[in-house]
Amino acid sequence: MAVDVRPLVDMEQGILSPRVYCDEDIFQLELERLFGRCWLFLAHDTMIPKAGDYMTTYMGEDPVIIARQRDGSVAAFLNQCRHRGMRLCRVDGGNNKVFSCTYHGWGYDLAGNLINVPHEEQFPDMDRSEWGAIKVPRLENYHGFIFGSWDPTIPSFTDYLGDMAWYMDVFVNRFDGGLEAIGGVHKWVIDCNWKFAAEQFTSDMSHAEVSHGSAFIACMPDDYDAARGTMPEYGVQFSSEAGHGCGFFLEGPVLEFTPGVRIADYWERETLEEARRRLGDARAEGFRAAHFNVFPTFSFLPGIQTTRVWHPRGPNQIEVWAWVMVPKNAPDEVKEAWRIGTMRTFSPAGHFEQDDGENWVEIQKTLRGSMARRTKLNVQMGMGGERLDADGFPGKTNICYAEMAARGFYQRWSDVLSMESWAEIDAARARRGDAVMRRLVAVNGRNGQAGR
Amino acid sequence: MATTLSEPEAPTVERVAPELQHEVEQFLYYEAEVLDERRFDEWLELLADDLHYWMPTRRNRARKDMAREFAGAREAAFFDEDKDSMVRRVRRIDSGMAWAEDPPSRTRHMVSNVRVLPTEIPEEFEVRCAYLLYRSRLERDVEIFVGARRDLLRRVDDGVGWQIARRTIILDQATLLAKNLSVFF
Repeated sequence: MAVDVRPLVDMEQGILSPRVYCDEDIFQLELERLFGRCWLFLAHDTMIPKAGDYMTTYMGEDPVIIARQRDGSVAAFLNQCRHRGMRLCRVDGGNNKVFSCTYHGWGYDLAGNLINVPHEEQFPDMDRSEWGAIKVPRLENYHGFIFGSWDPTIPSFTDYLGDMAWYMDVFVNRFDGGLEAIGGVHKWVIDCNWKFAAEQFTSDMSHAEVSHGSAFIACMPDDYDAARGTMPEYGVQFSSEAGHGCGFFLEGPVLEFTPGVRIADYWERETLEEARRRLGDARAEGFRAAHFNVFPTFSFLPGIQTTRVWHPRGPNQIEVWAWVMVPKNAPDEVKEAWRIGTMRTFSPAGHFEQDDGENWVEIQKTLRGSMARRTKLNVQMGMGGERLDADGFPGKTNICYAEMAARGFYQRWSDVLSMESWAEIDAARARRGDAVMRRLVAVNGRNGQAGR
Repeated sequence: MATTLSEPEAPTVERVAPELQHEVEQFLYYEAEVLDERRFDEWLELLADDLHYWMPTRRNRARKDMAREFAGAREAAFFDEDKDSMVRRVRRIDSGMAWAEDPPSRTRHMVSNVRVLPTEIPEEFEVRCAYLLYRSRLERDVEIFVGARRDLLRRVDDGVGWQIARRTIILDQATLLAKNLSVFF
């Protein structure tokens, strides 16, 4: 193994080496072992609804094409011609029958099968079936969200989610008729490591009151009593042994600030019965200002509905691709209120988003220094506050102002980078889960109170 | 009413009076100076109460798909603002906690290729220009935004005599090569 990352990540003590954010060798290992093996978000059904619809995206730094087949299924394959390695498709998306390489004209169908080779008779014994584009061997559709993995041996997506599925359903399964993507996508670059963004959406409620103070002022309704303007206290964080995480408040007005009062009405009143029927009371009513990340790079904010992927571009840059997902059955004026409200808060010109980029870039610049790279970082917030299956929240929880889910994220990152197989990775996950359970039951008892 | 970029229009090289061309250009230069000197409250006074300020996202599409190049009126935009939301953006900058603009950007707004087109309303003119917005931040960050603007300028009795009623901003990038858009176009 080229680099041993395990000494850099001591999550028992909550101590992290910042080398994980800037080392080129570690990044190459991430491309191979993490982005080359994990479940990665590719597209939502409504982004490619009709036969022949396709979009181009990335799995790590690998370009891929995902296309709707004539039978309604979906296929994904490496966006690379098998002849000289040329990028097969050079646009964001469209509708197509054949992907024809612009170099020498090799043609591929919607599933990536090689169907045309100019001057084929000059290739001795050419068997086109052996020269198709490299297919993404595993694809799964979870409530309309399509995920892919390069590793045929990866566990099913629901096994990969574990307890996270119960939480994630707050976003993907709240509404009859499901979600749909607003047309268009925000794409932009931030000169920072992808893990700053992914970790923040996994685990970081506490940055909001400092990083986003200006956003609360900008979003505040004109008649709002500023004395009420403090952050809610009562909230829960969830950490998965599989590296996923989320956090949310269980009290306080949130949606009326962002995306706005129209969405607050729709979410908290007009569709509350629908949500209760689908999810039960706890998940229909809680989850205010929720932040989520599905390991490694798929993030979303239920209620605000921004949904994004952090594509790595080397250790020092990311490309953010962000969509707004709205309930398919919502009235047009509600969809429009979401489009506008989310754009003004979570997009490159958004009140919240602007300041996140500022923070992450300045960390990355600091890590040019030798002392800076050797400085140990503190990831200890909320240690000892863990609960198990508390208050009806499955799995390991804590108060929302904790870094427990960040510790879970970096532990999983270390496992995925240092272990050979999914069997080994999942054995470590189960071992850690058992150890946590024994410790928590001993210290806190089972079914303690979450979030306080 | 949202603006679309795909409205068909007759080509025109209409001549307007040199005095009008001069007056419009002087207004655009004045506005650029107000922005570059960070006089944002004064800038808000140049925005009409019925303002629509719009920067659509842009796709990297094949030539046959150029009708879909720009996001539509109900699709993803970087800005899709009215007067109230612009007031809030300035309020954010003034909050003392807007880290993306504190320390503030050093900007220079340059406009050229100015064309003045009469509309059906005598006091309103469609004004098109090319812009180059240079931004320097912190020790050595630099970003350069280039594109076109289509403004609807309205002659008014007070202030400096003109207001911006509509601004459509075209950015000549598909993937935004910047960590944020914390400056105004």
